[in-house]
Amino acid sequence: MQLGSGAVRGGGGARSSPSRVSAVMAAFSGLHSSCGWLARTILRTPRRALWSQNRKKEEEVKVPERAVEIKEEPILECPPPRSRKYVPPEDLQSRVESHVKGVFGTCTNNNWQETSLEESRLKFFLLAQLAEEFGHVVPNSRLHEMRSVRDVVHFYSIPVQDGTKFDEISSRQLPSNLKITWDY
Amino acid sequence: MLLIRAALGGRGPGLGLTPARRALSTLTGGDLGSQEQALTTGLPSPGAVPLLRRCELPVPVHRTPVQAWVESLRGYEDTRLGLADLHPDVFEVPPRLDILHEVAIWQKNFKRISYAKTKTRAEVRGGGRKPWKQKGSGRARHGSIRSPIWRGGGIAHGPRGPTSYYYMLPMKVRVLGLKVALTVKLMQDDLHVVDSLELPTSDPRYLSDLFRHRCWGDSVLLVDVDEEMPQNIVSAVSNLKTINLVPAVGLNVHSMLKHQTLVLTLNTVAFLEKKLLWHDNRYTALYPFHLPYSDFP
Repeated sequence: MQLGSGAVRGGGGARSSPSRVSAVMAAFSGLHSSCGWLARTILRTPRRALWSQNRKKEEEVKVPERAVEIKEEPILECPPPRSRKYVPPEDLQSRVESHVKGVFGTCTNNNWQETSLEESRLKFFLLAQLAEEFGHVVPNSRLHEMRSVRDVVHFYSIPVQDGTKFDEISSRQLPSNLKITWDY
Repeated sequence: MLLIRAALGGRGPGLGLTPARRALSTLTGGDLGSQEQALTTGLPSPGAVPLLRRCELPVPVHRTPVQAWVESLRGYEDTRLGLADLHPDVFEVPPRLDILHEVAIWQKNFKRISYAKTKTRAEVRGGGRKPWKQKGSGRARHGSIRSPIWRGGGIAHGPRGPTSYYYMLPMKVRVLGLKVALTVKLMQDDLHVVDSLELPTSDPRYLSDLFRHRCWGDSVLLVDVDEEMPQNIVSAVSNLKTINLVPAVGLNVHSMLKHQTLVLTLNTVAFLEKKLLWHDNRYTALYPFHLPYSDFP
C-alpha cells in the first residue's frame, strides 16, 4: 500500500486531481493482496492518463520559449570562414592615394607617399579603411613597421596565398619524372 | 550590434564592425536605434572615436613603441576597434631564446622533489656476518650477503632520499624571460589585445567559434588583471579544455609557450608594463621584496 501510494505520488506529482489520486489509492488498498503484475498494470494506466494531462500543459509552455531561442541564434551565428588569399589589385596606388587624401586631407599633393603615420588616430583610420577595402589586414607584428604610406603600399603589394608550398607545387603541372605521394 | 553582423556576415571580411558602429554601440548601449543607424553607415567617418592607448611609462627617445590592434570578444567581426601602443622595452626586446629556455626549465624543475630512495648495503636487513670463512671453502670471498654485487643486496649509488631540485634564477632573468616571451608572441602574430573580456553569452561554443573564425589557433590563453572577471567568460572557459583564463599575476613563460595564442586586455598591458619596467631602473634590493618598499609597483 505504501509502495503504491508512493509510486503514484512520484508519477503524478502535484498536478494530479485529488479525486483521481483517492480513487487510485482506494484501488491499491483493495488489490494489495493480489499479484504484483496486476498491481503494476493498474499502476500503468492511471500514470499514462496523468502524463497525457501534463504533456498538454508542457507543450503550451514550451512554444513561447522556442520562439525566443530561434531569435537569438542568427545573432550569434558564426560567419563563414574566409580565405586568407590576397591578390594586390592593379589600381592599388590610386586607391591608396584616395584613402590617404580622405584621411589626411589634401595637404600634401606632390609626395603623398612620404606622409608619415606618426599620429595613431590617423594611422588607425587609414589602416582600417584599407583593411576594409582590400580584405587584408596588417598583422600586429608589422604594425610598427608602417612608418609612412610608402611602407603601407609596399605591404599591400605583396600577394598572400592560402595554402602551403606543397599544395601549390602539387596543383601545378609537374614534369613527367616527378610524382608527389600524398599518403606515406 | 549583433544583428548587423549576422546580416552582413556573408559579405566578406571587410564589412565588419567599424569604429563608428563600435562607438555608437558603446555610447547608446547597443539599442535598436543605434543598430538601424549603423546599418546605413559604410566606412568609418573621421568623426568616430577609435580606442587608442598610449604608453603610460616614458619610452626611450631613440625607440618608438610597437603597436597592436585593439579587438573585442563581443562579436565575430569586432576586430580593429583601435590601436594600442606597446612599450618597446617590454614588447620589442631582443629575442633571447636561451633566456626563454632557462626560465622554462626553471619553472619545470624548481618545484620538483623526487621521492625516490633505495637502501644501501648498510640499510638492507641482514648482512652483518661473514657468510663463510675467508679461505678453504672454494667459493669467492665475501664479507656480507647484502653487498651490492649480491642478489638482494643494497644499491651502491642509487637515489638517496627525497631530493629537491629547487633553485631560483635571479629576478631580473625571470623578468627578462617574460619580456622575451611577450616579444616573441607579438612578433609571431600570436598576441592579441582586447578591450575587455566581456562576452554576449556564456556559451562555450560561441568562444570556440570566435577563435576559429579569427584563426587564433587551437589553444588560447586569456589574461585579465584582477581575479574578478565577467561571469560569462568564466563559465564559458570552465567548460573548455584548450582555452584558459588566468589573472595577470599568473602569467608565466611556460603557459605562454604552451598556448598558441595570448590575449591580453588593455588593463593587463598597463599592469605588465608597469611591473616589468620597474626592474630596468632599480637599485639592488637591500632587503627582501616581500617587505614594504616605497616605490615597488
